[in-house]
Amino acid sequence: MSEQKHEEGVPFYPDHLALEAKVALGVGILVVIIGIIGLFIPVGVGAPADPMDTPAHIKPEWYFLSLYQLLRFIPKTIGATAPVIAILLIMVWPFLDHKPEKTTKIRQIRFWFSVIAVIIIIALTIWGEVS
Amino acid sequence: MKTVYRTILITLLSVILVAFSAAVVHANTAPVPAGVILEDGIAQPLTGTIEPEKDTCIQCHVDGSFTNIWTPFLRWVVFGAAGVAVLFGVARSASVWKTRSPWVPIPKRILGWVDERYQLSELMEPILSKPVPDWQRRWYYCLGGLTFFFFLVQGVTGIMLAFYYKPTPAEAYASIQFIENEVLLGSAVRMIHHWSANGMIVMACAHMLRVFIMGAYKPPRELNWVSGVILLVMTLAFGFTGYLLPWDQRAYWATTVGTEIAGSIPVIGQLAFIFLRAGWNISSLTLSRFFGLHVLVLPLVTVGTMLAHFLMIRKQGIMKPL
Repeated sequence: MSEQKHEEGVPFYPDHLALEAKVALGVGILVVIIGIIGLFIPVGVGAPADPMDTPAHIKPEWYFLSLYQLLRFIPKTIGATAPVIAILLIMVWPFLDHKPEKTTKIRQIRFWFSVIAVIIIIALTIWGEVS
Repeated sequence: MKTVYRTILITLLSVILVAFSAAVVHANTAPVPAGVILEDGIAQPLTGTIEPEKDTCIQCHVDGSFTNIWTPFLRWVVFGAAGVAVLFGVARSASVWKTRSPWVPIPKRILGWVDERYQLSELMEPILSKPVPDWQRRWYYCLGGLTFFFFLVQGVTGIMLAFYYKPTPAEAYASIQFIENEVLLGSAVRMIHHWSANGMIVMACAHMLRVFIMGAYKPPRELNWVSGVILLVMTLAFGFTGYLLPWDQRAYWATTVGTEIAGSIPVIGQLAFIFLRAGWNISSLTLSRFFGLHVLVLPLVTVGTMLAHFLMIRKQGIMKPL
């Protein structure tokens, strides 16, 4: 740290570790607060499972809700295959887009692409929640 | 000289503390002479029969006839702390007097003892002394770490829940009710497990978006990205398998629909359907299969992939943005 100081920074120990410990402590306190709330308002369980009685509205957890909402408008086969292909595409993305970056312009395009994607997913989720 | 004064002070304080606690405890537990009963601290002549002497033993705590756990607990804490303080004071004075050299703190001695045998400080040196540049100390670089934090919380609370959960259709629902209503802090642990799962998914997605936007997946970090996507899929699989375990209406029918959707994928759909349901219908086999996936397969795969993920970061470092 002393002789060859290439860039401004702090030593990992103890400065940066202290920061990380503070973050962990903060989130830890949040977790404990959630636990205390749980003592008074438990998560709870619904009616016991009954294979003979199909409920009127079936909803998955919120992280699958946008996909579920999408399935109402597109055929089931396409709706089920699309996420699998999307995940495979995301997985091989680094091999498709591998040129080193010279400017920050492409990063802005990626940023706005992400923002639009997130907005669409959130909108679908809210739509699925209220419908 | 300062050390000697401090030693004397600690020893004196410990003696006073012990004497005081002993006096308090003695006053509270001093035996009353037979044939005399106390009323407002004044001895009264005995009338009627003598109550048999009750022993505040372990058994009384177990059978529930004696519920005051705090008095004995406090007594143990006070006496324990006082005893440790006395022993420490004596050992410290003796050591300083015998070696004629300043006192070395206990943690430093333990570290020195371990280090002498395994040279750990040699191993940790490059990690600890490596400077962290200021551009890495931004909030968006902690998202992945927070995902890991939530995973650890999930591990701990999940093990706690697994102690009481029963993965059979006849008992699953009742065991969740038992956790919520009977187990000490059970509802708190279940609440933490529920919300920490959501937090883990949110943080994993946020971390992935950060990496995507900044282009940190570019060479030489492709495999880091691939392992990260596998971890995200694992996280979602945790959510999917865990959702069935309470065995209530919502869980049962969400899994019915979810597995049906998986079954409509061409080519691999039927296989996935049969694998997930362990048959054509959702049955006790499905529940124990989801339980096995949730508590054994997925954690093992996730921990292994995480290890690879972290080792790659350790080796390559965080990508420096333009």
